[in-house]
Amino acid sequence: MIATFDVPRGGPRAAGRAAAGLLLAAVTAGVELVLLAVAALLMAYSMAFSRGRRKVPGAVAEGAELLAELELWRLRVFLGEDRAVRYGPLKALAYLVLRVPVGLLGGVILLLLAYGAAAAVRLAVGWWITGDHLDGIPPTWWIVLYTAVAGVVLLFLAVQGLVGVAAMERSVARRCLGPSPLEEYERRIAQLSVTRAQVVDAVDDERRRIERDLHDGVQQRLVALGMLIGRARRAGDGERAAELLRQAHEESQRALADLREVTWRVYPAALDGEGLRAALETVAERSALPVVIDFDVPGRPPHAVETAAYFVVCEAVTNAAKHSGAASVRVAVAGSATMIGVRIEDDGGGGADPGGGGLAGLARRVAALDGTFTVDSPRGGPTVITAELPCG
Amino acid sequence: MRVMLAEDSTLLREGLVRLLAEEGHRVEAAVGDGDALIAAVAEGPPDVVVVDVRMPPSHTDEGLRAALEIRRRWPDVGVLVLSQYVEKRYAAELITADTAGVGYLLKDRVAQVDEFLDALERVGAGGAAFDPEVVRRLLAAHGAQGDPLARLTPRERDVLDTMAQGHTNASIAAHLHISQSAVEKHVNAIFDKLDLSHATGYSRRVLAVLRYLGS
Repeated sequence: MIATFDVPRGGPRAAGRAAAGLLLAAVTAGVELVLLAVAALLMAYSMAFSRGRRKVPGAVAEGAELLAELELWRLRVFLGEDRAVRYGPLKALAYLVLRVPVGLLGGVILLLLAYGAAAAVRLAVGWWITGDHLDGIPPTWWIVLYTAVAGVVLLFLAVQGLVGVAAMERSVARRCLGPSPLEEYERRIAQLSVTRAQVVDAVDDERRRIERDLHDGVQQRLVALGMLIGRARRAGDGERAAELLRQAHEESQRALADLREVTWRVYPAALDGEGLRAALETVAERSALPVVIDFDVPGRPPHAVETAAYFVVCEAVTNAAKHSGAASVRVAVAGSATMIGVRIEDDGGGGADPGGGGLAGLARRVAALDGTFTVDSPRGGPTVITAELPCG
Repeated sequence: MRVMLAEDSTLLREGLVRLLAEEGHRVEAAVGDGDALIAAVAEGPPDVVVVDVRMPPSHTDEGLRAALEIRRRWPDVGVLVLSQYVEKRYAAELITADTAGVGYLLKDRVAQVDEFLDALERVGAGGAAFDPEVVRRLLAAHGAQGDPLARLTPRERDVLDTMAQGHTNASIAAHLHISQSAVEKHVNAIFDKLDLSHATGYSRRVLAVLRYLGS
């Protein structure tokens, strides 16, 4: 892969680059014309004498691909055309066959330009310097005006022709070498299949976590509560029984608190009613670390986006509190009508593993919405987690 | 009795320790995983161990594997397994040919303090104790046509059900409010129908029945 250049659109530099590109295009087109003639002979020979076993001889195939590669580099550098391409030898050959006339056309227009420029100079020199008037016509003001207008019009046409050739260069490359719409669809479908499978995985992971939460927390508490009540009943009705009952009562309060925690983690009800901001404020309240929230989202984004954004923040804040050793966390949520960006930064020790269970789950959740998710956590911190979620 | 506990939830472990102490048992070890339990048993085998199935590190069946190892290495130690839900495979694994002193309870049964203590006593004394729910599930799995169990009368099924939980004939009689001689009659009928010899002891018979059910 050749490094891509940042080609500025417009401006004299870009125009100069494009002109140079077109000049190069004309030259390569000339060379390729010769090579294609040779290739055509080779192909004809191989078709006639290899009993149809091979469609494209190796030398032709390699040459075509090499030339296509070269042309793409030229397009990238001089015309700023940089797209994903996938081609085989046949596609490369087709491209070359189609681009040669385009390149030659560009060359012809450049020649015209050069000829026009030379004619203009000769005319001007003859009129005002040597006095050798063309066709013996003196440069009266209306003759000069008429010639200048005609020259400018011709110049305009030639420049437009060059612009057109550049556009054709791009579209021929795109048509011949770029992915077909069908390939685009196939790639998109493959990507969707992957994210769909990942979403199912993420859901299963979450369910497993909920099961663990319930089993390790609430259920143990309830069993303990039952034991306390059972012991109290066995103790009869003395002071010890009263004491055990009091403990049982406290335990029931704790079991309830645990249950509330778990249900909150499963799904924050506030998200539906009051929206993302309220839900995030609750996250901040419940966090062991101080969390600063900077929230700037107009209106209410789609529900799926709100939920994903919420879980990204929730998980990131929980991770920061658990693993990073951070003293505080900053959460920024900003949005427009088309996109919501979430950024969570902590001042902890870094070293978070994007492949870890929680973060991987978040990445899958975000990918399912066609969003982007990044974790930047160098050793020594700080950790920055960002997610961008398109809305609709 | 001398008891050892393995349970990863601190809360429950403490509760069990207190409960057993109140009942006059001696808790010699209360640990949080299977390896620690085996180490403690190796120090000096108790009468009975109580093991939770799901424990660290993997939270799958550590407790059960520890229980099986204890059965293998110290056959005299009673093992009472507490399980999150009925796992027929586990129940079947625990029930081996020539052992008594096995119990398999649902964890929540601990909250039924009387039943739990009763089961612990039975297992510690070399008897058997199976959770009614476990028995129900094992029986349910064998309700198909052509199954010898399908030939039992409802009353015989009740008797088998109760017996499979590890009860003696006397306590079956008390449970079902029938006379002990009636229980004996039912038991004989059951063994005839299930082609089981009844030359073995009570708990053996229970285990044989259960093994039959769990097969």
